[in-house]
Amino acid sequence: MESWHGHLLKERVDQSSLLIQGNRACVLGALDAGVRFYAGYPITPSSEIMEAMAVELPRIGGVFVQMEDEIASICACIGASLTGEVAMTATSGPGFSLMQEALGYAIMVQAPLVVVDVMRSGPSTGRPTAPSQADVMQARWGTHGDHPAIVLAASNVADMYRLTMAAVRFALRFRTPVTLLADQVVGQMRESFSEELLGRYRLTSGDFDFTPGYLHPDLAREVHLPHVLGSGEYPHVTGLFHDETGFPTNDPEKTDKFLRELYNKVAHHRDELCLYDVKNEGRGRVCIVAYGSCARSARAAWRLADQEGLSVEVLHLYTLFPLPVEIVQKVARRVEFMIIPELNLGQYAHEVRKMAEQWTTVIGIGKTDGTLITPREILDRIAELVGKYESV
Amino acid sequence: MVDGTTPSPIGSDQAPTSTPSSAQWEGLLFGREYVEVRFGGSGGQGVILMGVILATAATLDHHRVVQTESYGPEARGGYSRSDVIISSEPVDYPELERAHLLVALSQLAASQYIGTLRNDGIFIYDLEKVVEPPVFKGITFAIPFTEMALEETGRTQTTNILALGAVTSITGLVSVESLRKAVTGRVPAGTEEINNRALIRGLGIDPAEWQNGGARAYGLPVDR
Repeated sequence: MESWHGHLLKERVDQSSLLIQGNRACVLGALDAGVRFYAGYPITPSSEIMEAMAVELPRIGGVFVQMEDEIASICACIGASLTGEVAMTATSGPGFSLMQEALGYAIMVQAPLVVVDVMRSGPSTGRPTAPSQADVMQARWGTHGDHPAIVLAASNVADMYRLTMAAVRFALRFRTPVTLLADQVVGQMRESFSEELLGRYRLTSGDFDFTPGYLHPDLAREVHLPHVLGSGEYPHVTGLFHDETGFPTNDPEKTDKFLRELYNKVAHHRDELCLYDVKNEGRGRVCIVAYGSCARSARAAWRLADQEGLSVEVLHLYTLFPLPVEIVQKVARRVEFMIIPELNLGQYAHEVRKMAEQWTTVIGIGKTDGTLITPREILDRIAELVGKYESV
Repeated sequence: MVDGTTPSPIGSDQAPTSTPSSAQWEGLLFGREYVEVRFGGSGGQGVILMGVILATAATLDHHRVVQTESYGPEARGGYSRSDVIISSEPVDYPELERAHLLVALSQLAASQYIGTLRNDGIFIYDLEKVVEPPVFKGITFAIPFTEMALEETGRTQTTNILALGAVTSITGLVSVESLRKAVTGRVPAGTEEINNRALIRGLGIDPAEWQNGGARAYGLPVDR
């Protein structure tokens, strides 16, 4: 694979396989997708992303800047984005909190960029080296105002590669920041990973247009865009409500129209944005709905259940926001229970409940002790719900 | 790992030549289809690197591998552990549930993680660091890794690589060739030679000599 970023091949163990860390796979995906600007501030458990970017970007003509904090980091990314660079930053909970205000600004000025949040236990400093999924609602509603959000969740090393690519694509296409959520386990784990497998992901992503550049042919069709530097028009960028000229406006009609367009440019494209995977489709009274590292527990639980004569369905969500309403409701109509294991106190279970409770019973399994949910814990809960499998 | 090739049971890519001094010894975990390994120690001992190297070697042997790590918030000291799952099938749940093998380089790791080890598991520890070995009824190896490393290379920093050699010799988890490649590829640049010496020393141990209190039988101080 000539085009491959050979610099990361320290991870290569022989001609055909890699043992690569999730955070490094994320860098690989970003570079392959055209990211050439990174500004960040290191924080466990995301630091390897920054480390690898610091080494690799200068080598391929990109720009890497270590900023004084996370606020400056995301602001530098917005600046780079406004000049046409594909920009990215990575952080963890505490840093993600600092980025929230500027994230709203990026949404308002429609600056495409990717923010990777490798989640750790919180609130506050919490447990830097323990996984959690407790930033889900922050990724959706962390910044103020009615805003669109695209949030993806990675469950393994391959996801870190391909979902980073997808995040770049979505950012460029919808002209908005995209958040990729990982957690300490996914970010810092290493998995064997073949080049052929990578090649396949590359082929898939080959359908996407990763051409770097500010103006993308398919961009955000429903909403007017700011004028671009060098376009001949006067570029004015502001976080205030603005009209087609880019200058502020207080016109009630214009502000309302702009906000709705901004929101709907994402909400109206769920079909394209919602990535998911269904295992054992239509063959069970129970569906485990999972994302991130819990999706791995869910898959293991499904296999374990299979051995024990119980059939469960698994809905693995790669896109958390916009809400995958269609698929969740489709599954909800055919199962009696939906179980949502997650490393928080039920943040996404609540979202699923909103979508599905009309048809099914939604039950969350929340764990916050800094360890993953085991397949057995999921199965035990299912056993409680459906009796000891007898009628399944 | 490439789809289409058949993943092989553990160690089977390579004849188990890992124990030069004991031709009959195949390795206690040789040929298994699924093995969970935990390396535990304190920050700075290179415990995570041990996991990474073992995982790299197993990948070279065409197994499916997941390596995870966990460490304290401190820069040095504190606890540190690295878990490796080696399987012939893709691994879903990435954390270990009941370890087949525990390698402890500190007292804390030994006491804390012994409970995660299966009753029929293998417990390998550094004789000098684990002063009060926890009660364990399975197979135990107490080996003075740190002392051996000092003797061999003059540097305690090579203890982890030496221990990894001994672990391979005892278990047959990965082929010697893959392990050597993995060590050379993963240790810090400039330390390949010294680490290789430590590795060879570790690979050269005779497992039978150290099994179940073997050290005691050899008159080495166990209870210090």
